[in-house]
Amino acid sequence: MTEPLLRVRDLKTYFVTEQGSGTARAVDGVSFEVQPGETLGIVGESGCGKTVTSLSILRLIPEPPGHIRPGSFIEFEGRNLLTLEPRDLRAIRGNQIAMIFQEPMTSLNPVFTVGDQIAEAAIVHQRLSHRAARTRAIEMLRLVGIPDPEERVDHYPHQMSGGMRQRVMIAMALVCHPKLLIADEPTTALDVTIQAQILELLDRLQAELGMAVILITHDLGVVAGSADRVVVMYAGQVVEQAPTAALFARPLHPYTEGLLASVPRLDAPPAREHGRLHGIPGQVPAATAWPEGCRFHPRCPYAWDRCRAEAPPLLDAGGGAEPGTHTVRCWLLTDPRRRTPHP
Amino acid sequence: MGGAAVLALAVVAALRRRVRATAPGRRFFRHPTAGPGVFVLTFFVTIAFAAPVVAPYPPYYQIDIEHPNHPPSAQFLLGTDPLSRDVWSRVVYGARVSLGIGAVAMLVAASVGTAVGAVAGYFRRWVDTTLMRLVDVGLAMPRIFVLLMAVALWEHIALWVLVLLIGLTGWFGTSRLVRAEVLSLREREFVAAARALGAGAGRVIFRHVLPNAAAPIIVSAALGIGHMMLLEAGLSFLGMGVPSPTPSWGNMIADGWHKMAVAWWSATFPGLAISLVVMALNAVGDALRDALDPRREAV
Repeated sequence: MTEPLLRVRDLKTYFVTEQGSGTARAVDGVSFEVQPGETLGIVGESGCGKTVTSLSILRLIPEPPGHIRPGSFIEFEGRNLLTLEPRDLRAIRGNQIAMIFQEPMTSLNPVFTVGDQIAEAAIVHQRLSHRAARTRAIEMLRLVGIPDPEERVDHYPHQMSGGMRQRVMIAMALVCHPKLLIADEPTTALDVTIQAQILELLDRLQAELGMAVILITHDLGVVAGSADRVVVMYAGQVVEQAPTAALFARPLHPYTEGLLASVPRLDAPPAREHGRLHGIPGQVPAATAWPEGCRFHPRCPYAWDRCRAEAPPLLDAGGGAEPGTHTVRCWLLTDPRRRTPHP
Repeated sequence: MGGAAVLALAVVAALRRRVRATAPGRRFFRHPTAGPGVFVLTFFVTIAFAAPVVAPYPPYYQIDIEHPNHPPSAQFLLGTDPLSRDVWSRVVYGARVSLGIGAVAMLVAASVGTAVGAVAGYFRRWVDTTLMRLVDVGLAMPRIFVLLMAVALWEHIALWVLVLLIGLTGWFGTSRLVRAEVLSLREREFVAAARALGAGAGRVIFRHVLPNAAAPIIVSAALGIGHMMLLEAGLSFLGMGVPSPTPSWGNMIADGWHKMAVAWWSATFPGLAISLVVMALNAVGDALRDALDPRREAV
C-alpha cells in the first residue's frame, strides 16, 4: 500500500454543552486513511459524527463550544493539521483540501456573483489577478457543465437553481485543483435526477483531476455507486470499514446489516415484515450519554451480556480478506454462532 | 440657483434612466420620495461645491448696515439678516459647513462603529463583552452634554476637532447594529465555506460578512448624517459649535431667531434647509435599503 494522503488517528472532537448536561462526544476515537486518488465513503445516520469528522479535518469546528482532544492526530501528506499555525492551515484549506457543503442554497454568499466566489480561492492561494481569476472562473463553470459560462459568471446565486448552485460549489472547491475533496452530503438537498448528475460530475472530475474524495452521506446507494472503500460510523465511532464490494457482499456489523436492509429495493420485494420497509428500531442516542459497552447494543438484535459490559475494539473480519482491509467493531466476530436470523 | 436646480433635475433624470435597467434601480425609484430626495441632496451638494459661483455676495459681507432685515426680493433672494448679510449667500456657504460636518462626522462614526461591531461580533467572547460594555457606557452618556463639556473645556475649538468629536460620540448605535448583523451572519454556511477556502479572519469579515451587512450600515449612515447635522446645528445654535462669522445653518438660526417678528426669513430659510436635507437623507436612506438588498428580488 502506498503512503496515504490523509491519515486520521484517534480523532476525538468533543463539545461542551452550556447547560452543564455534560460533554457531547460527537466524534470519539475515529481512525481512517485516505489513499491518493481514491473515494472513501463515510456512512451513518444523522448524529453519528460524520459532519463533525469532516469539519475537524479542516479545523472548522467552532471553538468554543467544540474542541479537538489532545492525542488526536490528523496527518495530511505527513503534516499534522492539528498542530499547524493558522497561517499554514489557511494555505492548505481550499488549496490542498477543499470542501463542498451540504446546502448549496446557503453555502454561497448572496451578495457576490458566482464568478467572484469561484475566483476567490484562486486569488487567495495563487495570487491571480482579477482578470485571470475571472477567466479561471469561466473555465471552472464550463468544467462543471454550466451552460453559457461567460454569461453565468456574472450571475448571483439567487438567479440559479439548486443543482446549478451545487455545481458552482464544486467549481469553487476545485478551482485550485485540491488533492483531497471533502463532500459533505453533496446531493442531499437535491432532486434525485440532479443527484445522479452531480455524482457523475464528481466521478468525472475525480478521474480528470486525480484527486481523492471523502464522500459523506447517509445514502448507501450513493456510496455503492461512487466509493472505493466505505467507513460506517455509529455514535461517534467507526463500526465497520471495508472495500465497497466487500461491505455490500458481506456486511458484518449489525448496524451495517440494518442499514443495508433498510434500503428500499425494486428488484427484491422485502419478504420480511409483510411487505413493509425495514428500519433499525430506536434512534442514535444523545452524544452526551453514549451507552456503556458496545454503543449499538440497545438497538442490536444480537446483543448479549458481553455487549452491554465491554466495548468491542475494531476486529479483523477474516474470511479471506487481507488483514486490515475489512475491520468491524463487534463481539460477534469472536462468537459467530450467535449470528442467528433476526429474532 | 437656477443652474443648480437644473443640474439637480438633470442628475435625477439621468440616474432614473441609467438605473431603470437594473432591478435595484427600479426598487430605489419605486419609493415616491426617492426622486425628490435625490433632487434635494444633489441641489444642496451642488450649491455647496459651487458656492462662490452661486452666491451673489460674500457670506460675511454686510451690505447695508444702516438698513438690515431687508425682506426677500429680486436683489436679495431670501432677504438679509439682522447684520445685513444676504441670507441666500449665507445658506449657500452654510451648506458647505453643515453638509461637510455631517458627512465627515458620519464617516468617522460609521467607520469606527462598523469596525468595533464587526470585531465584537466576529470574535465574540471577551472581545465582545469588553467592547459592548464600552458601548453601553457610551450610550449612557448624554451626547449633547459631552460635546458641550468638550467645547467648554477647549476654548476656540478647531472645526476639525468638533467634527471628530461629533463623529466619535456617534458610533455606538452603529456598532450595536453591526455586531447584531455579524453575529447572525458569522453562523451562515457561506462563512464556513469561505473559511474552508482558506480565507483568513480579515477576508471573511470584510468580504463575506460586512457586505452582507451593508444595507443596514448604509441606511443607518444615511439617517445618521441627518442626526449629525442636527447635532451640529444644535451646538451652533447654542453658540458652542461653529463660531459665528462662519455661516452654518445652525448659527444662522441663532443669528436670526430673536428677530423672528420683524425678519422671519433670516432664521426660517436656514431652518428650512436643515429640514429639507434631513428629510431628503431619510428618504434616500429608506430607498437605498430596499434597493441594496439583493435577497429581495423584484418580481
